[in-house]
Amino acid sequence: MKTQTGVIDADAHNYINSMEDLLPYLSERWRTYVRSSGMQMPPVSHLPKLYELAARRDAWPPGGGKPGSDPDFMREQLLDAWQIDAAVLNPLVGVSGIRNLDLANAVMRAVNEWVEDVWFSADERWHASITVNAYDAEASAAEIRRAAQNRRFNQVLLLVRSHAPYGRREFRPIFEAAADMDIPVGIHFGGGTGNPITAAGWPSYYIEDHTGMTQAFEAQLISLVCEGVFQSMPSTRVCLIEGGFAWLPALMWRLDKNYRGLRSEVPWLTEFPSEIIRRHFAATTQPMEEPEDPAYLLDIFKMLDCDRFLLFATDYPHWDFDAPDKAIPSVVPDDLRQKIMRGNALKFYAFQNL
Amino acid sequence: MGEPRRVMVNGRALAVVRQPNAIYAARDICPHQGARLSDGHATGTALPCLPGEEIVFGKIGEILVCPWHGWEYDLRTGRALINPDKIRIRTYPARIENGRALVEMRVVPKRD
Repeated sequence: MKTQTGVIDADAHNYINSMEDLLPYLSERWRTYVRSSGMQMPPVSHLPKLYELAARRDAWPPGGGKPGSDPDFMREQLLDAWQIDAAVLNPLVGVSGIRNLDLANAVMRAVNEWVEDVWFSADERWHASITVNAYDAEASAAEIRRAAQNRRFNQVLLLVRSHAPYGRREFRPIFEAAADMDIPVGIHFGGGTGNPITAAGWPSYYIEDHTGMTQAFEAQLISLVCEGVFQSMPSTRVCLIEGGFAWLPALMWRLDKNYRGLRSEVPWLTEFPSEIIRRHFAATTQPMEEPEDPAYLLDIFKMLDCDRFLLFATDYPHWDFDAPDKAIPSVVPDDLRQKIMRGNALKFYAFQNL
Repeated sequence: MGEPRRVMVNGRALAVVRQPNAIYAARDICPHQGARLSDGHATGTALPCLPGEEIVFGKIGEILVCPWHGWEYDLRTGRALINPDKIRIRTYPARIENGRALVEMRVVPKRD
């Protein structure tokens, strides 16, 4: 099958090989600290992922380093191979897991400077999310206002497994800064700050971890809606990244139903939660749910009742990568396919150069 | 504050709420799943506001809450607080006269 042109990839990952790569972006105090302590890159997950770094086997750069660490190889294997016009890089660094807040904030800023320095200069198609520290919303807000001066940073990156759901007021400065800079907040698969990674406690296997990630996405969406984030800041937009989307209609129904009887608890909600969700949220496709009969997806799209909702993503270089020419099944009509592959992301991220 | 009472009028069940300065009457059935509204609660409600603002409890005595699923109805209009254009209970004009509660109900005569 011929590859499509003009694809926008709403979720790809660039990796830092080691703390050594961040040293140029740290102050002398933290450079010395990292060197003398032998500090390792803070992780974003707890269970071994079966495939090293959760990567495709062929994504290890021939010149060495981690998958996603070599801008030239990644350009070749992702952007050029699939004729991708723009990709949003989400560097997965466990900044929010660093308990020392000053160090976490220093690493936060260093990651963003590394992205700008190493990736933005390598190819104009790279865009990126701003790494923040969920434990320090004020420092994160300041970093968002600084980094987003460069419009290639077109999203704020939070990890879905947080220490508390993001609708809570302690996180408002992050959402206010994103709204002020007119960029969305992306909530991405992964993370972990001490809470068990499922709502029922610790599972044993990565397959449980991966499948159960939707629980965390549900918790974040419910929190953001019920805490009234979109009433306080009507321009806020949120992208659910790598959490799937087929669960959304059922959640909308459940939340709307409960709203009818429990509205008085959250009186800032003056419309059905599903309407708020349709207006303020988007979701990336990968990992695309794959029902036995692909036509079921059309039913899900109809239930979502929003043709701007989905943004195509590859999740390169991970093992569950979605290929641009194969991931969206042929039953999806062409006009909707075009929106998913490009049009929706164009509007959502307001790319300057496309 | 007056709680709802079930009253039969012409074979029709009404939920009647008597407040110090008002009286309300509605058909005693919730359109959702058929609960008797007279088993519910006449109260007020949290008025719309923004997060962080003081939540004001208003419309005191004007809200009838279904005993089963908590749907709220405005007794003055019969409309549900949520989805008011689609969900409503049948209300009847009511007043107090000489210490008696009067409810106006249109009686449709049977053909035969």
